[in-house]
Amino acid sequence: MVEVKLVGLGKRYGPVTAVHKVDLTVRDKEYVTILGPSGCGKTTLIRMIAGIIEPTEGKVFIDGKDMTGVPIEDRYIGYVFQNIALFPHLTVQDNVSYGPRARDMPREDQMRISKRFLDMVKLLDKMGMLPGELCGGEQQKASLARALSSGSKLLLLDEPLSALDSRVRVDLRYELRRLAKELGLTTIHVTHDQEEAQSVSDRIVLMRAGTVVETGTPEELYTRPKRIFTANFIGETNLLDGWVLEIKDGVSVIELRNGGKVKVNQADRPVGDAVVISVRPEFMFPADEGMRATVTSITYMGTYWRVTANTEDEEEVGFDTATLDENLLTIGKEVYLAVNPKTAVLYPRPNDGVQEAIKLE
Amino acid sequence: MFFLFFVILPTIYILSYAITDWGAIEQHVLDDPAMLDLILNAISASFQIAGIVTVIDILAGLPMAWILVRKEFRGKRFLDTLIDMPLAVPTAALGFSSAIFFAVTPESLAAPSFALNAVTSPYLLIILLHVVFSYPYMVRSLSAILVQIDQTYETAGRTLGASALSAARTITLPLFRAGLVTGIILCFARSLSETGGTMIALATMANPGNFATGPTLIGDWKHDLDSNPDLAAPLAFVSILLIILSLLLLVVLKIVIMKVHLPMGRIWPRPERLFSRGWFPKTKDGLAVLFLVVFVLLPSFFIFTYVASATPVSFDYGPFMDSLFYSFVIAAVVTVIDISLGVPLALYIAKNRKGKLPEVLDVLVNVPLIVPTAALGYSLGVFWTGQNIIPTFDALLIILAHVAFTYPLVVRNVAGAVEEVDPSYEETARTLGAKPVQAFRRVLFPMIKGSILAGAIMAFTRSLGETGATQAVVASAVTAPVYIVKLIKSEAFYTAGLACIVLIIVSYVAMLALRYVTNGRRSR
Repeated sequence: MVEVKLVGLGKRYGPVTAVHKVDLTVRDKEYVTILGPSGCGKTTLIRMIAGIIEPTEGKVFIDGKDMTGVPIEDRYIGYVFQNIALFPHLTVQDNVSYGPRARDMPREDQMRISKRFLDMVKLLDKMGMLPGELCGGEQQKASLARALSSGSKLLLLDEPLSALDSRVRVDLRYELRRLAKELGLTTIHVTHDQEEAQSVSDRIVLMRAGTVVETGTPEELYTRPKRIFTANFIGETNLLDGWVLEIKDGVSVIELRNGGKVKVNQADRPVGDAVVISVRPEFMFPADEGMRATVTSITYMGTYWRVTANTEDEEEVGFDTATLDENLLTIGKEVYLAVNPKTAVLYPRPNDGVQEAIKLE
Repeated sequence: MFFLFFVILPTIYILSYAITDWGAIEQHVLDDPAMLDLILNAISASFQIAGIVTVIDILAGLPMAWILVRKEFRGKRFLDTLIDMPLAVPTAALGFSSAIFFAVTPESLAAPSFALNAVTSPYLLIILLHVVFSYPYMVRSLSAILVQIDQTYETAGRTLGASALSAARTITLPLFRAGLVTGIILCFARSLSETGGTMIALATMANPGNFATGPTLIGDWKHDLDSNPDLAAPLAFVSILLIILSLLLLVVLKIVIMKVHLPMGRIWPRPERLFSRGWFPKTKDGLAVLFLVVFVLLPSFFIFTYVASATPVSFDYGPFMDSLFYSFVIAAVVTVIDISLGVPLALYIAKNRKGKLPEVLDVLVNVPLIVPTAALGYSLGVFWTGQNIIPTFDALLIILAHVAFTYPLVVRNVAGAVEEVDPSYEETARTLGAKPVQAFRRVLFPMIKGSILAGAIMAFTRSLGETGATQAVVASAVTAPVYIVKLIKSEAFYTAGLACIVLIIVSYVAMLALRYVTNGRRSR
């Protein structure tokens, strides 16, 4: 049983607030990602959990125990660093057995444990090498084995994949989740890569400028984000200004600033209210009627085409199409774009504008 | 070429004396047991002192380096400056100041009653003195490396359950070797070659006996050489021994520290954990600071309290000012030569790291740093007076001697800085159409300007404070530190104190200039 609870946790550096009163509970065996743009305080947060940074306010509880004043080595955590940080003067095996050694386990156990975890990350054959002789992916696997070898049931991953090549990054991502689930670990994973967060997590905590914006499963955050910031940061989206024209049977009709009209299956804003709707590119498509736009570019993306078009008020929108009908879609051609009402999300228009709401800091 | 001919060749020229004049050495040294005894005692004292000083420096310097690099606290910049302070004090002044503070001094000196006034053994006094001026070097070179070691390693160790002390010992320390080598060699060499301060300290204390170190022997004998030409052979012999032993030691130290594997892997979780908590770390930090104050700062600046408390004596500034001016001119000329010839060599070494020749040059540059300056000076004097290639004016000889041991300071500094500059900056300038010279002047030069100036000021203050080499090359020369030695030998303690203070102030102004320049570079 490992449960992590943060209560009003905050960190200030002089006048700068890095993390502002975060409350969060990570349940036993849960894989939680802390996601956010760089500088949002996510690394500060995980470092406070590990005890590397002392919080200026609030508390960290691990298994119900207050960790205030408990030094790093007594928190029994596994921690994987962004810069890998394998001890360069020790062999891979000595690196992995460092934890058992530091905790004064008998020598046979040191060997057995280090071999077990090296086997788990498939590095048994390289255990005699120095870290510098491994490639990036192998290094991070070794450092993962090292973190696990302490026997901790709490795994903290601080941007573990950021320093790796893109292909290795994707492979290792699944490896991380598999190991965490196999060993029944409670995992907190910090990343700025929303795709990575979506593919590994049970739950995502989205942060911005030191505060938690929204928490939810990857699916919730993608399909029904509660904030404009979330809609924009996770995946891609078109954000369009408009007004509620009428509401009928739980469906709002929105008149857009660009002249088009779209329907949204949501009715929590009163008629006449200024709103913003979020539509993902894959849920917007050419139709006989809707908003009028001129195609400006067509890009082949592998499994689909991404088309961008300018609406009448000179706003750029993007949509995806699985088949490219060249009679319908060529650069310079006018199209009418419709929106799937089930997938669009409606927000009240923020007072200081959409750009302010989606700003990263 | 300049480097080889003017620096390396004269430095090791004296070695040839062993071959050409072996007979004289045999006659005056080997067949004279009293003389041989004196020499061997002095040299072994030199090496013992250097060894002990280095060990003390490591033990006291490591915690201090740790505090400076890894801790954040108010007044850190202040502490940082404090450590550099003794560097600004010429060793001649340091020797006088420390001796008054530590040693039992003669009545005529009238040391203030609150001086320690406890040390009677010259051996111990010299150790204490050498710690005073080598400690800052040790702290500086240790912290320079410590800064470069990623703290994540230690943090990683601690997340794995190692206490702060275990992590520092098993992870950071083993990564530290290179820094340790530099620190040890610097301290060892400085202690081994120190002449002026040592002579002054010995002259200041009551009853030094006939205690001597290798360099002070050279200084004394060179002085008497005119009246007693038989001393030439012993002089050469001492110089040769010092040069060979110090070079040998350099090689041995490098090999030992890099190759020998200390059993650092073991972890003793319980006791180390105990020592990582509570009173122990605080006590350790406190002791480190206390050490700095009592054994480094107080002795360095005790001279001020001495002069303030002693009864004033009228002081004829004339001769001292002359000597100070003489020192200044020499230091200035030396610095100019160092810069104009050192920077090109530094560039060459730094840019052609892969080649054989630069590698050899890189090692050779260090030679004058290791060789005791008195031996170096003597060797140089013999070389130039024997060659008849250049007219042997005193000033010219002194300048050449000073260039020999300050030149490496400039080359080291600049080569280090050039290596840290990413070559792609210059390459970018080249792709934008700059000629190589332009690329250097507009791109590289502004980036390494600070280190050139730093090297220059180091060379300047070093030249200003040097006694051993000056005396060894021209016995009759009167530079400021030599003048102070004379004052003390004639028991004019008060005037010597005043002269020291003037010298300190002058050096300190140079030091401030260094700070100003390096800070300016950082803020840009």
